[in-house]
Amino acid sequence: MHQSYRLAVIYFTLFGLLLLMSGAILFVEKLGMSYESISLFYLGSEAQFTQPKSTFGLLETALPHLGAMGLFVFVIGHFLLFTPKKEKARAIVPVVLLFIAALLDIISGFIIIQGWTFFIWIKLVSFFSLQIIGLYLLFLVFKSALDSLLKYTKR
Amino acid sequence: MKFTLIKDLKSDTLMRPLLSGLLLFILLFLMADVLLKNKLIGLTPSHLSQTLFGNEAEYVEPATEHFLLELLHGDIFFMMMTLLTLSAIYARLCQNSSLRMVNINAMMISALLTLFFLPLAYYLSAHFVMPYIIAFYSWHILALFMAIASLYYLFIPQKSDL
Repeated sequence: MHQSYRLAVIYFTLFGLLLLMSGAILFVEKLGMSYESISLFYLGSEAQFTQPKSTFGLLETALPHLGAMGLFVFVIGHFLLFTPKKEKARAIVPVVLLFIAALLDIISGFIIIQGWTFFIWIKLVSFFSLQIIGLYLLFLVFKSALDSLLKYTKR
Repeated sequence: MKFTLIKDLKSDTLMRPLLSGLLLFILLFLMADVLLKNKLIGLTPSHLSQTLFGNEAEYVEPATEHFLLELLHGDIFFMMMTLLTLSAIYARLCQNSSLRMVNINAMMISALLTLFFLPLAYYLSAHFVMPYIIAFYSWHILALFMAIASLYYLFIPQKSDL
């Protein structure tokens, strides 16, 4: 693999870090981090004159996220194809978990507005999992690309 | 990213039209991004300042924090995917290794800087408006150059091909 390609991968992980960070800030700003605030966001409140979210409204957010998150996880995961066997094996479970966490994060909103309030916890857990596993995979890719770039420059 | 593994991209009958199409879309994406940002937030110091901080005289409300965050969040995703793909193609086609490294580094760093300068301008100081515009145009120009150069390398035989 070209060293400039490894460099592009390193930059990609930095962009990935910023993407996760901005996603976390948006989550905190829009939904909050508590059961009550997420419930208020999805189900609304008569006392605070806020409307519950509609299926169409949620679909508008879900649609770009379905495409983007799938692609994001795939691209991070596929970089690990170029890593040594040990690291590749270490990444299989996190990649699968990341797909599941991303999917649950997207669909839990639709289930919450149907009255299944237990999914508020699922939303919180899947969001945290998405952030932590995403960071872990980005770290694996970053470390692997940096190691091989440094090895190449030492040669 | 199969093209990173194919030895001779130029002589591969399927890879050449595939990469040409992708590069054409990247070119259009870059141009559309400039047009859209110019309309949405402005790409001149006065227009961008008005969008970020509002203008009482013209009854323009300042941009909300939420608007800015959503704009950045979407931008990061499209930038990372586009720039990674473009860099990978350019890295395979450009034979001059120092030019390749300089261009990729400069484009990526200026793209990353836009993501820092815009929030800095909004939250900290209007002095970051101009650096944002410079960084924005820099990464777009570099990316356009890399896309056009890649198309050139793809279709015009180089010394190393002969």
